[in-house]
Amino acid sequence: MAPKSSAAGKERSTIEEEEVLQAVILADSFNKRFSPLTLQKPRCLLPICNAPLLDWTFESLALAGVQEIFVICRSHAELVKAAIKNSKWSKPSAGLKIVPIVTAKETFSPGDAMRDIYTHSIITSDFVLVTGDLVSSVRIDEVVRVHKERRKTNKDAIMTMVVKESGMRHRTRSRGESAVFVIDPETSECLHYEAVMGYPPKNYTKIPREILNEHPEVEIRNDLIDCSIDVCSVEVPSLFQDNFDYGDLRRDFVHGVLTSDLLMKNIYCYIAKDGYAARVKDTKSYDAISKDILSRWTFPLVPDDNHPGGHSYEHIRGNKYIAKDGTVALSRTCKIGNNTLIGSQCLISDNAQISASILGQRCTIGAGSVIRNSYLFDGVVVGPNCTIEFSILAAGVQVKEGSRIEKGCLLADGVVIGPQARLQPFERLSRRHLGTEHNEEDEGEEDDEDEDDEDEDEDVDEEGDGDVEESEDDNESEMDSDYGEIEANQDPDALKRLGPDNNAIIWPQPSIDEDEEIDEVEHPTNLRLMRLGDDASDLYLSDVGSETSESDLDDDDHFDDSDPSSSVTSLPLANTSNLVQQADEAAITEFQHEVKLSLDRAFAEGHSVDNASVELKTLRMAHNVPLRRVREAVVTAIVNRIKIVESGGPAQRQEIAVVVSRWGDLIDKIGGVDATETIEVLQECCASSERLPLFGQILAALYQEDVVEEEDIRAWHKRPQSRGDEQKSATLQNNFQKCWNAGAFMIKQFDEQESDEESDEESDEEDTLAKQTRIKEKAAPASSTTTTHRESSENSSEESDDGAEESEEDEVESDELSENESA
Amino acid sequence: MATDAESATDQRTVEHLAARLRRRQVVGSQQTALETVLVLRQVVSKARFSNIDQLVDVIRSVGRKLVEAQPKGPCTSEYTVGNTVRKVLHHIREEYHTASQGTVVPSTSKPTFSIAKFVSQGQPRKQTTSQRASHETRGILRENDPDDPDAFARALKPVFMEAIQDVLDELETVYDNVSKNAKDHIHSDEIILTIGKSSTVEAFLKAAASHRKYTVIVADTAPSYSGREMAQSLSSSGISTVLVPDSSVYALMSRINKVVLGAHAILANGGMFAITGSLLAATAARAHSTPVVVCSGQFKLTPQWNLYHEYGALDFADPSGVLGFEEGDLVDKVDVVNPYYDYVRPEMIDAYITNDGDHPPSSVYRLIKEAYDDEDYAL
Repeated sequence: MAPKSSAAGKERSTIEEEEVLQAVILADSFNKRFSPLTLQKPRCLLPICNAPLLDWTFESLALAGVQEIFVICRSHAELVKAAIKNSKWSKPSAGLKIVPIVTAKETFSPGDAMRDIYTHSIITSDFVLVTGDLVSSVRIDEVVRVHKERRKTNKDAIMTMVVKESGMRHRTRSRGESAVFVIDPETSECLHYEAVMGYPPKNYTKIPREILNEHPEVEIRNDLIDCSIDVCSVEVPSLFQDNFDYGDLRRDFVHGVLTSDLLMKNIYCYIAKDGYAARVKDTKSYDAISKDILSRWTFPLVPDDNHPGGHSYEHIRGNKYIAKDGTVALSRTCKIGNNTLIGSQCLISDNAQISASILGQRCTIGAGSVIRNSYLFDGVVVGPNCTIEFSILAAGVQVKEGSRIEKGCLLADGVVIGPQARLQPFERLSRRHLGTEHNEEDEGEEDDEDEDDEDEDEDVDEEGDGDVEESEDDNESEMDSDYGEIEANQDPDALKRLGPDNNAIIWPQPSIDEDEEIDEVEHPTNLRLMRLGDDASDLYLSDVGSETSESDLDDDDHFDDSDPSSSVTSLPLANTSNLVQQADEAAITEFQHEVKLSLDRAFAEGHSVDNASVELKTLRMAHNVPLRRVREAVVTAIVNRIKIVESGGPAQRQEIAVVVSRWGDLIDKIGGVDATETIEVLQECCASSERLPLFGQILAALYQEDVVEEEDIRAWHKRPQSRGDEQKSATLQNNFQKCWNAGAFMIKQFDEQESDEESDEESDEEDTLAKQTRIKEKAAPASSTTTTHRESSENSSEESDDGAEESEEDEVESDELSENESA
Repeated sequence: MATDAESATDQRTVEHLAARLRRRQVVGSQQTALETVLVLRQVVSKARFSNIDQLVDVIRSVGRKLVEAQPKGPCTSEYTVGNTVRKVLHHIREEYHTASQGTVVPSTSKPTFSIAKFVSQGQPRKQTTSQRASHETRGILRENDPDDPDAFARALKPVFMEAIQDVLDELETVYDNVSKNAKDHIHSDEIILTIGKSSTVEAFLKAAASHRKYTVIVADTAPSYSGREMAQSLSSSGISTVLVPDSSVYALMSRINKVVLGAHAILANGGMFAITGSLLAATAARAHSTPVVVCSGQFKLTPQWNLYHEYGALDFADPSGVLGFEEGDLVDKVDVVNPYYDYVRPEMIDAYITNDGDHPPSSVYRLIKEAYDDEDYAL
């Protein structure tokens, strides 16, 4: 008895000890793929299998043991808040703490939302970032565990993305919006990410060469479903804050982090073996995920078990689900096909056929109607002899007798069409705005069961009607302005097709608006790949042609239109590359100027080396110049900083030592360490300036400061270029030779030093002194006083002690980087 | 307000278990049953009641909540929670009747035995239960005392806790008791076929191994392949084990002396739900007249008997075990079903080996009657 009770007690205490797992739900979709269904409801409240998407997301998170959830909402924030308040999740018994956060109207991208999270500073530890349209049965807690484990050894592992293996042509994998992941199979680190659009089609992907250099084995995969479940560490929101141009989580953030050589952060992938996860991104994935749920891929999240809306369904052979409460009236002669879900209080009349469809609650299907692959939300009334295929009918839609709805139609809340309406494929209808009030009240009276739902709708509507532009949030008013325009431009003939009783307006097919800057993912042609019922078979035929036309734009005449592949491979043309070079040179000149200014200021105001290096890094990023240019600029600046003392000798040495000890470290802090290059640069710099005689002294000083090592000098010395044979002008060649000789002298000294190392045990100090003296003699023949030597070298060695440690660390860090650079 | 806080903690324990059940963090029938009893014990120890009905209501409401939370599906035991609650109720009522005997004056005359009342006489103490409704007399047990509402609870709580402890003890020793008689069922040099991984069967076979030398053939048990684990576990404890694919079960059946199966739930008609493949094995065994025995704890006895009419009772899991999700081309062209359980009819089973002796399927109803009270069949 005793051990048992203690076990129970232990159990309870472990619950309390557990760190609270936080999750952030981005409840806004930041696009309009579901419009006009999303006119009065945010996407996350659209039902899938008769439960709002947001509830599926909560269920997924609850399944994963998340305890605290922040819901970031923007459009229709009030509705989302109300939905959260009324859902079972906000009851204390659910064990979840849900906090809705309404972001500013200026939030236009997930990136903005992340910045908002940062400013709210709600995140305390690693958190799970999901979107409000997720359906998942993946054990996210397992992913979190793996992530935390990794964080223990690698602090730079900031994010783990959950991906799911699927075939190339899986229905749930979006053709319009996928990605190429380059993954190290050993560590499952994501090395490169490239978004792939369905249109224009992409035939190749670029993978940075360093990745292939550094990793013996990589997997390049385009068969993964991005579940958009990310386990992020606390730094992620702050990274968004720092990089204000990050918009999309994947195309900007992941791509940005992985391609940046300054952030040095790692992102990992978690390839989910078990469980299901997918995102309702568009109407096509809405269809696919509905079917996945019905065919139980999402198990244990299936309609007859764990239904997030709390409904209970009976599962019958052929994956048919019928509400269990016995309120569904099925006619004796109706046919219910496979993969169908029928909500409570539905009425299916004689000879109606329903297959692969989902019916919400209180739907009525008239006699002889056929419904295939369609989604009817709550309270849809379909008259007799109608045909509906591959369409979504939102709550309260009425389709009167003999109507025909072709594939891909979206009918928004409360639309009435028919009788005998004929809809074109992919037509989108919403309710007319003016003069709908009395109509709707009628509806409410007719349909008693609908009352509460309708009331809610009405409330929203009235708000919208009375005070169209102001009362609603940004998105809504934006929509409304669209709305008025669309309403004004209705084609009366088209409306006639919708039957005499219709109250609908037709939304125009999306077209390319030249003025508007449009995200390429949201390109109408690309969106077609994400549309319900659209197999886009005509699109792929035009693939080759589109490629050709693009190369035409490149204003070259000597390429045949008939051969698009060659135009792709030989794109870098002579004249363009020339232009590029000119532009590069201009950028470099500007950069050099900027660096000079920056360093002058740093010298003048006495900045710390770290601050100066940050400034340099920023400049480098802004101008996108190679590392060598930075080095050149820095070395030049430092060399120029050294004043030429006319008297030479100790005063000159003193001067050099002061400058080098103060600023020498900067050379290694610009983003990479390559001492041999430093010497080369120094040589170039000295050779072309009046400070030529100082070369040996500066090199010696750098050696003292540990900026360059003996090996580096040797390495430099061996290089044929160092002799300056390739230089054009004779003076330059001469100067290079002089520098080389100075180096040769130093090396000779090193050799001598080595040979009498055993004998000379007295002190390092004297050794260096001696060395310096000898170097002196060679580089700048002048008499030397030992005392000043001693002073200066002591000074420098003291200071360099701290510096040496630092620079050594730097070296370890940036070793990889420099390899990158050299590669 | 202390009671509020107490009931809140109670609430929390119940909710916590419910959540863990829902998330499948409690796995295995025995584990589920144990956890349920622990929660019930805590609830009873904190509950305030002034008569037996209140207590029963409290337990039932907790039971209902847990049963609702139970998801169906693999690794869960949706009937176990209900069965355990029923068992606890049964024990508590029994204790109550023992305690109240002598104090409660029989208000009706002793019922005469008749065929019509056969069912109720199946439970010997039913006679006293029928009188329970009359609370006119209060002896030592002061039920519903308005002056001291806690008197009843004070007097009987220790007894009730003991009753719950009995259930707990029974659950903890269930494997030992099932395997107690293992050596009487398995003889030397026999060949036994089993399927899937059932902890009860595992314990049973291992117990027999210490007395007898025999061979076990384990079927793969696709798509969960739990048979592989089973084979590993058995062979590691020194039993000569052969792992075979499911398809060869029929071919091997002629050489097999006995089929030993585990159960998911035993229904009142003597049939049972067991892991997919059990029906295959049982049918093959029947064709060769090989005896089929089922090892199971009594907490798997379920008062329902007509569950096999329901299609969904077989628990259809996700199809990924049969057809990988990565087979994208096929997913939308093929409907895949992956039932987790098989229903095995009573006539295919020769005996149930439980922690309370061996029984033929035809007397399962009797065991159920003894284990639970009629009024608890629907919680």
